[in-house]
Amino acid sequence: MTQHVDVKDVTAVPTQDPQPASDRMPPSPGLAAAVVAGFAALAVGVSVLGGDLLNPAASTTDGDYSGETVEMMIPLAEGGGTDTWARFVATELTQEVPGSPGLAPVNDDGGEGILGTNHFMSSARTDGTEVLVSTASTVVPYLLDMPAVRYDFAELRPILANGTGAVVYARTGAGVKGVEDLVDRDRPLVFGGIAATSLDLTTLLAFDLLGADVESTFGFEGRGPVNLALQRGEVDIDYQTTSSYGPAVEPLVEDGTAVPLFSLGQVDESGEIVRDPNFPDLPTVVEVHEELHGEQPDADELDTYRAILALTYTYQKALWVPEDTPDEALELLRSTAEDMGADPEFQEAAAEVLGGYPLDASPDLAERIGDAYRVDDSVREDVLELLETDYDITID
Amino acid sequence: MTDAAFSALASLADPSLLLMLAIGVVAGLVIGLIPGLGGTGAVAILLPVTFGMEPEAALAMLIGALAVVHTSDTVAAVLLGAPGSASASVTMLDGYSMARQGQAKRALSLAFLSSMAGGLIGAVGLTLAIPLARPLVLSFGSPELFMLTILGVSLAAVLSRGNVVKGLMAGFLGLLLGLVGTSPTTAEERFSFGSLFLSDGVSLVAVALGIFGLAEIASRVGQRKVTEKPVELTGGWGAGIREWLTHWTQVVRGSLIGIWAGVLPGVGATAGTWLAYGQAVATAKDKRKFGKGDPRGIVGPESANNSVEAGDLIPTFLFGIPGGVPSAMLLGMLLTYGIQPGPAIVTEHLDLMYLIVWAFAIASVAGAFLCFLATGSLARLTRVPFAVLGPGLLVIMLLGAFQEGGQIGDLWVMVLLGVVGFFLKTTGTPRAPFLIGFVLAIPMERYYYLTANLYDGASWMLRPGVLVFAAVLVVPVLWSLVKKLRGTSGQADDGHRDEHDGPEADVDDLEGSLAGTAWSAGLAVLAVLVFAGALWVSGSFSEEARLMPRLVATCGLAAALLLTWQEVKVRRSRTARPVGTAPGTAGEALGTGGSTMVATRVEPVTDKRTHAHAHDLRIAARTFAAMAAFLVLAMVGGYLAATLVFTPAFLLYAARVRPRTAIAYTLVLGAVLLSLPTLLPVDLPLGLLQ
Repeated sequence: MTQHVDVKDVTAVPTQDPQPASDRMPPSPGLAAAVVAGFAALAVGVSVLGGDLLNPAASTTDGDYSGETVEMMIPLAEGGGTDTWARFVATELTQEVPGSPGLAPVNDDGGEGILGTNHFMSSARTDGTEVLVSTASTVVPYLLDMPAVRYDFAELRPILANGTGAVVYARTGAGVKGVEDLVDRDRPLVFGGIAATSLDLTTLLAFDLLGADVESTFGFEGRGPVNLALQRGEVDIDYQTTSSYGPAVEPLVEDGTAVPLFSLGQVDESGEIVRDPNFPDLPTVVEVHEELHGEQPDADELDTYRAILALTYTYQKALWVPEDTPDEALELLRSTAEDMGADPEFQEAAAEVLGGYPLDASPDLAERIGDAYRVDDSVREDVLELLETDYDITID
Repeated sequence: MTDAAFSALASLADPSLLLMLAIGVVAGLVIGLIPGLGGTGAVAILLPVTFGMEPEAALAMLIGALAVVHTSDTVAAVLLGAPGSASASVTMLDGYSMARQGQAKRALSLAFLSSMAGGLIGAVGLTLAIPLARPLVLSFGSPELFMLTILGVSLAAVLSRGNVVKGLMAGFLGLLLGLVGTSPTTAEERFSFGSLFLSDGVSLVAVALGIFGLAEIASRVGQRKVTEKPVELTGGWGAGIREWLTHWTQVVRGSLIGIWAGVLPGVGATAGTWLAYGQAVATAKDKRKFGKGDPRGIVGPESANNSVEAGDLIPTFLFGIPGGVPSAMLLGMLLTYGIQPGPAIVTEHLDLMYLIVWAFAIASVAGAFLCFLATGSLARLTRVPFAVLGPGLLVIMLLGAFQEGGQIGDLWVMVLLGVVGFFLKTTGTPRAPFLIGFVLAIPMERYYYLTANLYDGASWMLRPGVLVFAAVLVVPVLWSLVKKLRGTSGQADDGHRDEHDGPEADVDDLEGSLAGTAWSAGLAVLAVLVFAGALWVSGSFSEEARLMPRLVATCGLAAALLLTWQEVKVRRSRTARPVGTAPGTAGEALGTGGSTMVATRVEPVTDKRTHAHAHDLRIAARTFAAMAAFLVLAMVGGYLAATLVFTPAFLLYAARVRPRTAIAYTLVLGAVLLSLPTLLPVDLPLGLLQ
């Protein structure tokens, strides 16, 4: 393999260049200035007037969204569960809303979603044409009151919400056959996580509640890689959310590599932790506690767990509008979503995206979600204390 | 299995599916042309269209786009030196050199044909790899992935044209830049200095387009006339195909490496293209022309580039773990149709899998063929003076970089990195290791940390995969040492980074023009200060977050100190040498990329060179100032308004085109900007006045 510059095939042809620019006289200063000034005037026109011409004021309070475009802020990168969920639900919703408005999804994963949500909080239009997607990565920093967070869910109003669940499972190769192997171990189980301040938090609280003998290693890229690491034997215990449980964990359970231990559970309308409707056979954390320790968990600890569970799972994904949005516009969006959620055709089409949890847009949603998002100081303190003592993380 | 394969092929004969595939291919090609948008842009624009379609039609469209994005993103890398992705920067090494020698058409033909073959072999690999994928992916644990990241950065540092110390230093600088932002292991912020913007890390597109693209504009805008003499390929397409066929072994090897690397999520795509380049260099007998327009340097990586996309689909479908944003979106689309990824997909949706394979193959061929037909007109782009291309390119590249995070800060970072890239280029420091270091910094840290935490002691070092990678890393170094000791230092063998320049090496008059001057010594000293500063700042991090920055800063400091010492030695020997001697070496020193030995010519020539340097620097400084002014305008009055003011001013005062041309140019560019947001998923930066 030597050089293959085939000289015969290659002949140099002089360029028939347009007259070299450097030889040309520069345009006369007056003419050049006139051209630039003309464009400058056009530019001023475009920036000052164009904005208003292109974006006329919206009229959304008349029960009709025709001619409008709904802008949806997704504080996550493209791809992945929540992004797909948001795009799907919003596409269906805007088709159902009277007047069938257009939809413009905007992804901004700056600061793990904090920047995009901050931006929405400070500059979203309050006429019902801008909606926000909330997700675990923006809810947990809000819960922990991180300094970068400049949004407050108490100052937003929900249109609809959709929950998810999760199952904790372990590798049989690590000597785990059931929940009883979570405690009194010779060697702690290795849990693979992304970061203690991510959605992992709820699982960590569950381990803490159970007094499970688990040692955490953070730094994984996502739950998928943790699942692979568990198959390779690098980690022993992991959790997967409902939508990925089927493809990622079920095959392992079938061939005996892994065993499901418990589900994180769901918070029902009366505020109790109940079994996950998608995993009716798996016990909840509370049941496991009773089985392992013969009693109910400590009431305070359980309160903390329940608050975090509601926030990070039961009401994990939601669409919001700013507080000052007219009631008519919000009510139109919400009632459309409620009807859509009850429509069997939609339920069938959306079964996979919704992950087996109902699309919640009932009139009392704002109240319930408000309760869940109004986190008591004691809960926040408990979580911060756990992070500091067990995971050496302080939020300043 | 064959039944399913043929029924899938038959279903593709359905005109409506073919139409969807064609739409996907065209969209992918167009989006690939704009540096910075890439596969993410292609899937983002098509995804909303697919809601409500049949899964087959939707898949055909998306796969069509994904399969060809890396075919057309070669155009900007080869013709303009502006790679929009880390993998395109590999093709740029030889492709851009070739284009600058007036052989743009040849470079593009080779690249497109290789892309096509890469896509085809990738599709076959996708079929065959399905049963092997599971054991393959499971055998790669954190230690192996860690070694792969090390290998990627080292290969880039060693193989880029230029001296190895400079390459290593650039690699460490890139790694350091990659560490800016939130630590992957402890979630604490590093080198962000309290800024929420920096806590996200720096955007990849801003780094790639800044360090290469903007630096290229600044260094070439001074040339008002086209210096390259286009070399016409009289043989037409036939000759292009014939030449490409002589490199068929490179095509096969490149594609296989691409498939294999694509299977490994995360690090595969970037490291894989470099591995393909590395093997091309390692197996070549005559290495002198690598980095200066060697066809083998285009064929191997470009084949890998496209087969990586096919390989990437394997973990996406089988494990639900996408290797990149485009495949993540594809995954999301599958989920909305109720198709669950996982090992069962092969049995439950075999027809769909074959549809994907066929669509991938057909799209690769069709896309490459369309590009191949257009090479002639595309290559004509190199005849337009850079001063005229400059403003349009700048506007489009900045817009591309803005799309990733939607932060105007990214654009400032990009201009700043343009300045860094300009000095790296002029001092003969290779920029590819910088980019690769930047991309692989976080994966490297992540897998190092996981390896150290999940394995006891150093037991991971004895894993077979780790040993193989270590051998790939160490053996060539030992081999060249042994050769050196024997005294047969192998003039022909590693000449590709020695001073053996062919006549074409003088084409890029700025590359390395400042090597051996006070500027390059200054750069080395600056690097010492940066690394020392990083070392000092990293003292305030927690113990776990400190590990990697410290290691990088220490090694970088060592490399920078070594380089400073080299520079001082060169300068001393130069002043010691009487003026006017060694005319023979002077010719070699001129224009070499990594020559550390620089001799002077007779005095008038030295004067002329110093004069030329001052001129180049002045023009670059003015260009960067113009870019900054453009950004200020954009922040005040919005992007469109800024373009309307900046473009005619630049064209009239800097490029000195006719007023008529300037008016038409600006109006067209303005119209493009006005229509882009409705056609593509593109947002224009907004100004304060808007």
